Amino acid sequence: MFANKKWMSLFTLVIIASIGLLVCAAPTSVTTLPRNETLYSNGQQWGPVVGWNPYSSSMNNAMAVTQQDSARVIMFETPYLYNMVDGKVYPLLADGPYTWDAGQTKITFNLKQAAYWSDGTPVTAADVAYTWDANIKYATNAGNNFKDYILSVTAVDAQMVVVKAKLDADGKALNPLMVAAYLSGNYVIQKAWTQKLEERAGGDATKFLADTAEDVVYSGPYHKFFADDTKVVYVRDDMYWGQSASMWGKLPTPKYLAHVIFKDNAAGSVALAQGEVDVSQQFNSNIQVLWLNYGLPISTYLPEAPYGIGASLPTAYYNLKSYGLDQLAVRKAIAIAVDYPTIIANAMTNQSATFDQVPRSLMNPTPGEQALYDHDAVNDLQWAGNDIEGAKKLLDDAGITDTNGDGWREYNGQKLSYVATCPNGWSDWQASIEVVAAAGKKIGIDITSNYPEWSVYQTVVTTSDAPLPAGYDILMMWSDGAGPTQPWGRIRHLLSSEFVGIANNWNGNWGQYSNPRVDELVQAIPSETDPAELKEMYTELVKIYLTDIPSFTLMYRPQSFHAVNESVWTGFPHQGDGTSPPVPPLNLTDGWSIAGLYNLTLVNP
Amino acid sequence: MKGYRRYFLNKALWFLVTLVCAFILNFFLPRLMPGDPVAAIVARMAQGMSNATGVQAIYQQYTELFGTNKPLLQQFFIYVNNVLHGNFGFSFSFYPRTVASVIKSSIWWTICLQFPAIIVGWLIGNTLGALAAYRKKGFDKVLMPVSIFVSNFPAFGMAVILMVVFGVGLKWFPTSGGYGFDLIPNLSWKFIWSVIVHYQLPFWSIVLIAIGMQAIGMRSMAIYELNADYVKYSRFMGIKDRKIIRYVFRNAMLPQVTGLALSIGTMVGGALVAEIIFSYPGLGYTMLNAIMGGDYPLISATTLIVTLMVLTTMFLIDIIYAFIDPRIKAAQFD
Repeated sequence: MFANKKWMSLFTLVIIASIGLLVCAAPTSVTTLPRNETLYSNGQQWGPVVGWNPYSSSMNNAMAVTQQDSARVIMFETPYLYNMVDGKVYPLLADGPYTWDAGQTKITFNLKQAAYWSDGTPVTAADVAYTWDANIKYATNAGNNFKDYILSVTAVDAQMVVVKAKLDADGKALNPLMVAAYLSGNYVIQKAWTQKLEERAGGDATKFLADTAEDVVYSGPYHKFFADDTKVVYVRDDMYWGQSASMWGKLPTPKYLAHVIFKDNAAGSVALAQGEVDVSQQFNSNIQVLWLNYGLPISTYLPEAPYGIGASLPTAYYNLKSYGLDQLAVRKAIAIAVDYPTIIANAMTNQSATFDQVPRSLMNPTPGEQALYDHDAVNDLQWAGNDIEGAKKLLDDAGITDTNGDGWREYNGQKLSYVATCPNGWSDWQASIEVVAAAGKKIGIDITSNYPEWSVYQTVVTTSDAPLPAGYDILMMWSDGAGPTQPWGRIRHLLSSEFVGIANNWNGNWGQYSNPRVDELVQAIPSETDPAELKEMYTELVKIYLTDIPSFTLMYRPQSFHAVNESVWTGFPHQGDGTSPPVPPLNLTDGWSIAGLYNLTLVNP
Repeated sequence: MKGYRRYFLNKALWFLVTLVCAFILNFFLPRLMPGDPVAAIVARMAQGMSNATGVQAIYQQYTELFGTNKPLLQQFFIYVNNVLHGNFGFSFSFYPRTVASVIKSSIWWTICLQFPAIIVGWLIGNTLGALAAYRKKGFDKVLMPVSIFVSNFPAFGMAVILMVVFGVGLKWFPTSGGYGFDLIPNLSWKFIWSVIVHYQLPFWSIVLIAIGMQAIGMRSMAIYELNADYVKYSRFMGIKDRKIIRYVFRNAMLPQVTGLALSIGTMVGGALVAEIIFSYPGLGYTMLNAIMGGDYPLISATTLIVTLMVLTTMFLIDIIYAFIDPRIKAAQFD
């Protein structure tokens, strides 16, 4: 009948043909990655790698091509490495610290004699200068980001580089913070290879940035080994210059760095628990369960909650044009009524410091930033949340009461009714928004939640040349993490009015707040070198922020999540691990955290 | 034969009309979704940028490159021209990869997962459904509730149960990926075995649900046919049971074949749930991301492939039906 031989043969044939097709579709080359030579990561690479072009931001090659405050330096390298734990920069390609001239108009630094490219030629000052010129010529992200602050990058000789700043009316660097930040956030790319790429692109900027650069020359310790839709693997360059005594003195321990491409956090968490991932950068819900309940050799940077160092401040912005939200009493009442401990417990599964542990300001919880403002001076302005009675009293005192007895407060006769929003599917943010909405209900303000798709949300929120439309009264967005320009950059993005009126505002201040004194301080801070003066300025900014409340922080979030499984490798960064300078918990790829790759040892050698 | 020619021409004409309509809808519908896909690209590019004019520059550069600043009608004619030249353009969300390269790298995974799952689910389901209808009694009493139970399982529920039981609990099968996390594709038994082992959970998560659905459909059809007059007449004529059953199931099979053709036609859409739960490579997740990110060229190209496959399989089924069961052809011209 149906289950006869014919059908069985057909069935077998279909299965065999399918597997055959699959195997044929895959390229054939090498075979197995030895487990005790491979370090597996997750949470960095989402979706397949597109290419290897360090000038382009379209390569979706998270581990190899990511220029940021702590640039990822496994393949391409920066002159300096930023360390978010101590807030300092350490030389990589550079030889010794950089220096500003007396007039604060230019930075000078030298390159290490030992540094050379993967093709064996030395890394020279001409490479640094040519990289900058290409960044400008082809309007790369690095070029667009720094062209307002850097005038030129020139080579004095083979080793010496001069970075000239754009100057203000007083003849000083317009923004010394940004000029210095270029050196730890942006790669040095080989001049000869860049010229080859230019030739290939025929001077066309689009082609230049779209080139996948399979032939790229690099200076870092790893390069492409394999990439497909399921994983990307980098292999160590055993000729890497950094094994010279002037840098690391040895090669990084793992021969391969591999990143399996997971479709979501849940799949990544399962792999971490099963020992198929050594370093996890993704959010693993209730991470402590893995060692407390299952006894797995998994740990985080801190042994107890919040498990990591908070660096950024996910924030709820008020749309200051919404009816009633122009009233401080309403903004403050909502902000102090929110149950932050619930947000931290539910949305972050306690992977955030509480506002009792780190009182709110504009600073992240790192000791360096916390030391930048006078805590006592703003003590009376900080709140830890859940203050329902205080919020009600505030509204009552402001005359914002329920006049018609419907249970909701009115302002000038009109009911206070708002929509709190964040993108759909961003589960931790959605949980936070629900808590904000609940707080409104407790104090007689009708707050409902709504979650548009990210593709819609981003379009609306970033249109700052018009008032936000209905449905965007309280909206959640991110803030800057840790970096050499922080906390100045974060404060600028939270409060500066320069972003109001921008058609595509990906920078910040999405609630469109404006305060001339804030703008003045934001402009003055980068040039200020006196620590006491700086502290005073930052304290004033915190005071303004906690007084005006144009937005409020909902939680602290780490620069990147960092959990490690020590089944195969050990020696990962943990707080107080004795490393000096301390290795930050940034997955052994970002900025100074790459130092961690040199400290790894095998659990079973 | 004249009737056949008219029937085929009629079907071919409808095929073309549907294709043109679907092509136009494939282009315009994704573009009517709210949201600006270029903003999504800028979001990716502008991470860490602190310069407002720089962000503006990137935005303009990409609206120009993708042509989203042009009027919709003009974009349509450019698209038609490109498609006629076999060029689906750049994918917005995977730029600078082309749509063709994105589809090419994941379509095999999808076909290799979906096609056998559809065929196996269909074969086993129909066999079991037919047996249930024929044998009745205990077999039917056990099979039917089980089929109804399994077929009503949400796909993600089935996938998660299989993963937790056979992957995490019993550790019989790996929980994620298309092949071993420590392997590089190559023509070795180790790799092939790894592909087979990784294939099992996503495969059965689709097949188990399909079996239940097919079994229920086949059982109902078969019971209806078993009570038909021709069966009774055949029995009076003394025709052997085996032969009667063959008649019965051939007739009961017709709607099932249509369902099979539709499943094969839409399989390129991917097995989204299996792909996500098991981090299995394939087009489903790519398409989901394309839709979420407003990646018009990728959405249009994949939906065009689905449209073409469905139309082609339906066209072929129509043609085959005309031969298998001339009543269908005749009914069209009554």
